[in-house]
Amino acid sequence: MSDIQDEKLEAMLRSRRAESASPDLAARIILKAQGIPQIRTTSPWQWLRQLFAEYHLPKPAYVLASALILGLVIGFSTATDTTPTDNASSINIQGFLYPDEGPL
Amino acid sequence: MAAANWPDKDDHELLALIQDGSHHAFAELVKRHTARFYGLAYRYVQSKETAEDIVQDAFLRLWENPGKWQPDRSSKFTTWFYRIVVNLCLDWQKKKRPVELDDEISLTDDRDAMDAVLIRTQEQRILEKEIGALPERQRMALNLCFDEGLSNQEAAEVMGVNLKALQSLIMRAKATLKERMKAYL
Repeated sequence: MSDIQDEKLEAMLRSRRAESASPDLAARIILKAQGIPQIRTTSPWQWLRQLFAEYHLPKPAYVLASALILGLVIGFSTATDTTPTDNASSINIQGFLYPDEGPL
Repeated sequence: MAAANWPDKDDHELLALIQDGSHHAFAELVKRHTARFYGLAYRYVQSKETAEDIVQDAFLRLWENPGKWQPDRSSKFTTWFYRIVVNLCLDWQKKKRPVELDDEISLTDDRDAMDAVLIRTQEQRILEKEIGALPERQRMALNLCFDEGLSNQEAAEVMGVNLKALQSLIMRAKATLKERMKAYL
């Protein structure tokens, strides 16, 4: 009984009819779009490609620019802290500046 | 480009041209898919004018901002666009007051007095009302699977749920309809 009900319900669901759209619906959409300007959104990658396409740089320029960027990245990532932070180094400096007086 | 070439282009080619600002490509895409998406919207909103507005809005959004379509992220244009139409239908539903069943529709089985056509018309009317009273996600799942003929997997993709969740939505919708349509089954 339940299976028959299921089948009948499914048949009813599949036989649903929709009122037809206006025949000119597509034409109206197309016409309306003609008065609407498009929004141009570009991803950073697209922007970069456009930039490269605009400026026809020779290949060595790309190599040079890449080497420069790579150098900067390596330089910043391996930079060491050289600023004196402890008292010992300041004492040494004072000793160097005033050898007769000793550290204050 | 010759007009005869447009129907030969697939959706992805047309979309690439639309992204370059081609009105011809947009026109071809609209002609190709308007009826299909109108059908989905109509079954959800049950109003010709509203369904037409929703489809128009969806296509104009695509035209206005074609960069939203990312071919590498979305496998199929229709699946992606179904999602846009579904979301617009859900937005419409949120703005609208809840559906109420008409009191004048009787659920009594008075078949002797009615001919087959009238019975069928009444059944369909009641079915539409009952579907309209279902929770929105259950209704959308039914529409996608039964009316649009999408596979469960495609419908799940459109609705942004997994397959099991979609099957559960359909099962609950059918159980509710079976209960409410008892007199006609």
